[in-house]
Amino acid sequence: MGQGLALKILSRLSAAVIACALVVGCDKAQLSPMMATVGTLAQASLVQFKEKRAQSAGVAAKPVSRAEIEAYGIPILRAVVEFRGADVLLTLADTKGSVQTWTTTDGTTFTLRDGVLIQTRGLGPDVLSADAPTVGQLLQNGATYQRRYFFLGADDQVSRRTYDCTVTVVGRETITVVERNHSVTHVKEACTRPQGSIGSEYWIEGNKIRRSVQSTSGLAGLILFERVVD
Amino acid sequence: MLLPSRHLLASLVCTTVLCSAPAYAEMTPSLNLSGGTGLIDMPSGEAQSDGAFTFSVGSVGPITRTTLSFQISERLSASYHFQTWRDWDNVIPGDDKISDKSLDLRFLIVKEGEVLPAVTIGINDFTGEYAYSAEYIAATKSLGERIKVTAGLGWGRFGSYDSIGSPFGDRPENGVIGRPNVDQWFRGEAAPFGGVEVKVTDTWTFKGEYSSDTYTLEDDERGIIDRARPFNFGLEYQKGPNARYGLYYVHGTEIGFALHLILDPKNRATGGVMGAAPMAVKSRPSRAADPEAYDGEWVTQPDAGPLLQKNLDKRLAVDGIVIDSLSYTATTVQIRIRNTRIDAGSQAIGRTARALSHLMPASVEVFEIVPVVNGMGASKVTIRRSDLEELEYVADNTTLLRERVTITDAGQAPATAIAETDPYPDFWWGLKPAFRLPQPLQPEVGLRLSANYSIRPGLVIKGSVYGRLVGDVDSVASGSLLQPVRSDGARYSDNGNPALEELTLAWYARPAADIYSRFTVGYLERMHAGVSGELLWKRVDNPLGLGVELNYTYQRDTDGVFGVDEYDYDVVTGHVSAYYDFGNGYLGQIDVGRYLAGDFGATVSLDRIFVNGWRIGAFATVTDATAEEFGEGAFDKGVRFSVPLNWAVGNQTKQTFGTTLRPSGGDGGARLNVDGRLYDSIRDYHTEALDPEWGRVWR
Repeated sequence: MGQGLALKILSRLSAAVIACALVVGCDKAQLSPMMATVGTLAQASLVQFKEKRAQSAGVAAKPVSRAEIEAYGIPILRAVVEFRGADVLLTLADTKGSVQTWTTTDGTTFTLRDGVLIQTRGLGPDVLSADAPTVGQLLQNGATYQRRYFFLGADDQVSRRTYDCTVTVVGRETITVVERNHSVTHVKEACTRPQGSIGSEYWIEGNKIRRSVQSTSGLAGLILFERVVD
Repeated sequence: MLLPSRHLLASLVCTTVLCSAPAYAEMTPSLNLSGGTGLIDMPSGEAQSDGAFTFSVGSVGPITRTTLSFQISERLSASYHFQTWRDWDNVIPGDDKISDKSLDLRFLIVKEGEVLPAVTIGINDFTGEYAYSAEYIAATKSLGERIKVTAGLGWGRFGSYDSIGSPFGDRPENGVIGRPNVDQWFRGEAAPFGGVEVKVTDTWTFKGEYSSDTYTLEDDERGIIDRARPFNFGLEYQKGPNARYGLYYVHGTEIGFALHLILDPKNRATGGVMGAAPMAVKSRPSRAADPEAYDGEWVTQPDAGPLLQKNLDKRLAVDGIVIDSLSYTATTVQIRIRNTRIDAGSQAIGRTARALSHLMPASVEVFEIVPVVNGMGASKVTIRRSDLEELEYVADNTTLLRERVTITDAGQAPATAIAETDPYPDFWWGLKPAFRLPQPLQPEVGLRLSANYSIRPGLVIKGSVYGRLVGDVDSVASGSLLQPVRSDGARYSDNGNPALEELTLAWYARPAADIYSRFTVGYLERMHAGVSGELLWKRVDNPLGLGVELNYTYQRDTDGVFGVDEYDYDVVTGHVSAYYDFGNGYLGQIDVGRYLAGDFGATVSLDRIFVNGWRIGAFATVTDATAEEFGEGAFDKGVRFSVPLNWAVGNQTKQTFGTTLRPSGGDGGARLNVDGRLYDSIRDYHTEALDPEWGRVWR
């Protein structure tokens, strides 16, 4: 299960989506295009390589339709990891209460609590653990809280970053996630610390995060998540 | 030295190409033609970033210098040079010396501030033949973000042009080659030098300098270059953070070029360790919800043990973890594991704990994980299962878990240990390409056939045969006044190809708590055969280790077969050793005792071990062998480094690439190269190694 599925590639989301989504500042150089190439070196083998191979062979990667995705009958999360140049479909590897761990076929995982990223594994510059706001906090305009990230760095040591965050509710919007429209509340989260600032955005449908662009480590930058199939 | 070096080299090249950051806010300290921090010929007052490891090739006319430099700490750095001269016999025909090796040291006295410049004091070629012998003090100040100005005063070579006199007295004649030339330091004529560095764009830098080196040796004595002017100019191109190229016009007559590869051991090329995510921890149902799951009755089932071990085996094999033994009660499990692939012990422990959470019945609350090295339990990591379940997704779980985990002496395996799928005897063999660097710039490529047969835990027969395929050997008979216990290396290479490198029976054991033992018999290394015994006292959580070693060996024949008659030499050697972990990755070792040539003395070594496995160190051995007996170099000293391959390629592997570099070789201060010395075998699983990398327990 999942092998063929996750290897299928959605039409590539351009960096523009992320860049546009990012109105609040971020730690500099998060989206360095060169960093994407590091992924090649690392043989991270996220799915993008299949696409590249397909492209170099003169075959354009075919966008995957909702019908195809839904045919698998399992929950699907889409992740766009710009720094690895990867656009992948993830399947559930573990659920514990409100915490869900999603995985690529090659074992890169993203762990979200109520849709907010708290861990990654296999990206290289990983989020080892993190505090996360609740969806309730994110829906509350002006809510403030502290966020802590613990990164596993290039030196194999854990570094900690603590941010003070503020939520701004932008308003109601309609977004399209793989052919389906969703009516959502658009929320921005701005987090600062003396050395810099990061920002994430969430599009929340009811009490559920439908789409998000979330900050990870300084090197991995921003990741876009879309809950394609519930 | 082993080597899939292709991977390493490929990745080094890749890092230079791929890791480019967009721009630099400030000017990074650059390197000179000699691979030291500086201008073109001259040094500057700056230092590289802590830990920086640089490889440089600088060439001007017939002179080429290849240099490895290491910023040992924030302030101290060392360089190892290998230099070659073409046309050395221009003036003195028949003098065919073509190469030399030397060591430099430099120390940053003052860090650059708002007003103060960076100031560095340095001594070049302080133990060699003094072809490059020089001392200096240099100051560098940044003026804005694009200009740096350097001024300095040099002695020795650097005081040879337009001197201002001898402020600290005359410079005495060369002492014994190989000994630090302390008497000469900062003596004799001193001369000022200076220069400027201008960052023209983010990638291009212009350099201009006034050199106080008149090149007496190369110009006046040897006539291999023509030094006309003291002014040198150059343009350098920085390609990403890892590579820098330079083109120079020097001495008013020559064109020079330089290539620098700059590596930061603290930064993995991949930004972090790669490899697949672990399986999630499996949570047990709550005791209230499912009290039956917590029933310990299962221990009475005869097939429980074999089944558990079989299933655990399957899960752990994914990460190259092998079960040595498994024992359990209704509440505690002890699993003894061999970690064959993961470079970080804590990650192997974490993966084992996760596997146990999936397979052990709910009544088992305590996981005791014992990493086993060469059959010896290296430590016992005790994790409570409920902590693992509770902390998996909690912020800062690294610190929180470590607070609740205990790491203690491994102890003996419980008598109830089962080994249904007994991993012993265990046999493996391999035929691999091997790359050796017996001399700088004289690489050879060969094939190594190795085999390993573990009879039972701690009892191992192993052997290897090496054959050289590509590479030249200059077989020169040793001129050593001592027994040629090392200096006949070239004869060994020449006469025995292929050769039996090693064929030993080794017995490792844990005779008591905190005590480790090794007994090895056979063809211990390429040049010596016999018996070797070692005892080590090392507590799991103590930075101090104490060891003794005693060996009785015969020098082997050069033909690489079984004989020990050619030299008719046998010797008793042995050492008392102290190991101390100073923290922050600095590891010191002192060995006192008798060496292979029968000389008595001591070795002091200091290594810096980075959490991700990079290891760089230096050592020196002083014995009662006289400088004359030792030959060129006076006493044994050198630098060594070891790079974990997974640092560069990111894959799960424990393999490393490394070598030891000596400015000169001799027979004094030579130790037996017996495999499997105890301290390095077990250190990885003691707290001083596990704690800094503890984050990887959750990786």
